[in-house]
Amino acid sequence: MVSQQQYVGQGEIGGDWETLYRMQRFVEKEATLLDNGEFREWLDLFCGNCEYWAPAARNQTDAETNVSLFYDTRETLETRVERLYHPMIHCQIPKSCTMRLLGNFVLVGDKRMDQKTRCISVRSKFIMLEDRPGVERRLFGGTYEHTLVENSDTGRLHIKMKKVILTNCDGVFPNLTQPL
Amino acid sequence: MPTDTGPKLDELVRNDRVHRSIYTDEDIFQLERTRIFRRVWLFVGHASQVANAGDYFTTELAGEPVVMTRDMEGYIHVLYNKCPHRGAKVVPIEYGNGKVLQCMYHGWAFRHNGRLAGVPLRRDFPESVLAEPCVAMNSLPRVDEYRGFVFASFNSEVMPLTDYLGDAAIGIDELVERSPVGKIELSGGCHRYTFEGNWKYQLENMADMYHPAATHASTVNDEGLQFKRRPGAKGGASPFFTETGEPLVSMSGQRGYPHGHSSEASLFADEQSGGEIWEEYRGQLVAAYGEDRTKELLRNRRHSMMIFPGLDILIAQTAVRVVKPKSVDRTEVLVYPARLVGAPDELNKEIIQYLNITHSAASFIQSDDLEAFERCHKGLKAGGTDWVLVARGLGQEKDEGNGVLFGDRSSEIGQRVQHYAWRSLMLEGMDGGQAHG
Repeated sequence: MVSQQQYVGQGEIGGDWETLYRMQRFVEKEATLLDNGEFREWLDLFCGNCEYWAPAARNQTDAETNVSLFYDTRETLETRVERLYHPMIHCQIPKSCTMRLLGNFVLVGDKRMDQKTRCISVRSKFIMLEDRPGVERRLFGGTYEHTLVENSDTGRLHIKMKKVILTNCDGVFPNLTQPL
Repeated sequence: MPTDTGPKLDELVRNDRVHRSIYTDEDIFQLERTRIFRRVWLFVGHASQVANAGDYFTTELAGEPVVMTRDMEGYIHVLYNKCPHRGAKVVPIEYGNGKVLQCMYHGWAFRHNGRLAGVPLRRDFPESVLAEPCVAMNSLPRVDEYRGFVFASFNSEVMPLTDYLGDAAIGIDELVERSPVGKIELSGGCHRYTFEGNWKYQLENMADMYHPAATHASTVNDEGLQFKRRPGAKGGASPFFTETGEPLVSMSGQRGYPHGHSSEASLFADEQSGGEIWEEYRGQLVAAYGEDRTKELLRNRRHSMMIFPGLDILIAQTAVRVVKPKSVDRTEVLVYPARLVGAPDELNKEIIQYLNITHSAASFIQSDDLEAFERCHKGLKAGGTDWVLVARGLGQEKDEGNGVLFGDRSSEIGQRVQHYAWRSLMLEGMDGGQAHG
């Protein structure tokens, strides 16, 4: 069997294979829930003190001194998700259909789970199509940065922070109804 | 443009309805550029966007690229963003700072007041040409400022800015005085959204308290509560309906001002807020303005004040919105949070984060407004009737004096005065002032 070291440099994948694979599967599953419109199940992936953030400026360092396309804590994220199921969310009549393609996964920071906080960060690249009847196809792309936390009781992963950096984050947008 | 077969220009706006072509006709859009946008005062930007000597900020006015600068003596200028040599747009980025403004094409450089500062290989040019005053980055004919809000006009004959604003200036006063030192900054970035539709849908929407119950139904939960609208400990989800089932927001009044300005009365009083930070802020305001004025400011009498044809002072959101018509079919809108200088950081943070959920393209509110604008633009392609109604509350207005009309219960008076000002300007009358039809 080819060892990790021979196959690819440790630094390139940023951590060990198994950890990377586990995080990648989690993030891909999260993307699938969004593509399937399973927003409540998506919300369940987030922990209680979560943040969901898409900056509106390049190199934006925080969500406190500059506006963001999305900046949700648990409370507003719940409002966002429930609204997506509301029968009178006009900007989703008819509904959008999305498809995300993810790749270039890499562990960042310590490149492993912090034994004390049970947190780990993974970065990936994505491209997303959004189609909605009567609306021109839209294309989004950028970088996902997930900070995941492992529940010490259940062993399950949850999203502590999802940061979405669109390549055109400082651009002009038509309505953005789909969580990215 | 309506021709022999359609209504004439002076027939497009009636007292209670407007012709659909004012939203959809390309020739009318081009005429608006000349007769409206090139004749009145237009908001350019806020002085804080060029806070330091050498700063510049670029934008578009009536489709023309302009640059607002602050020169080395601290004066603000608004220049056509164009090199007088071969016409290249000089400043390509939104914000910057430099000793001069330099054209990339042949290297001509300009001072922040627009005057020519340097020409490479100068001796080959006739000095008489370079000495012509127009060989510069020319200033717009008129530039003026009201409490940090910089306006410009393409019209050298335009009336004084304070006359144009009239009583509507109180909208700016109320926003600025929310800062305990009477100073705001547009330093928190900007929401930028766009829609496939005419600019007037956005303008009308800024004087529309009739739409929220239907348009924003998805923001109200099963218990009839809307999401947390105010910052502070007490600023939780609030009831959306009265006991009789009428939407509270539709009970608020509207005002129409001369020159097409309009305001919406408020629903969300800041007295609903609470907590330590709020009390600290309130104390600062009392120290600065006294108890009476503080009460008045925080009673939050106005939801917004719209200065025709495209500046919206969002008093409830502590923000500034600017409408940029791009074509008859496309509009861009910028929404800046206003940082209240001197107020607690935590409060300014809440202003930014609240604006995210109300005015981002991804927000709970704006996304359905954008849907409404695009539906209007699609719907108005249909015949059947050529007229769009703005009749709500017609004849019920109270004259408050000074040309200000108050309309109760989500009256469409604000929209009517917009259209009356539009009609007056399009018919080339500069009096354009009457809020009355």
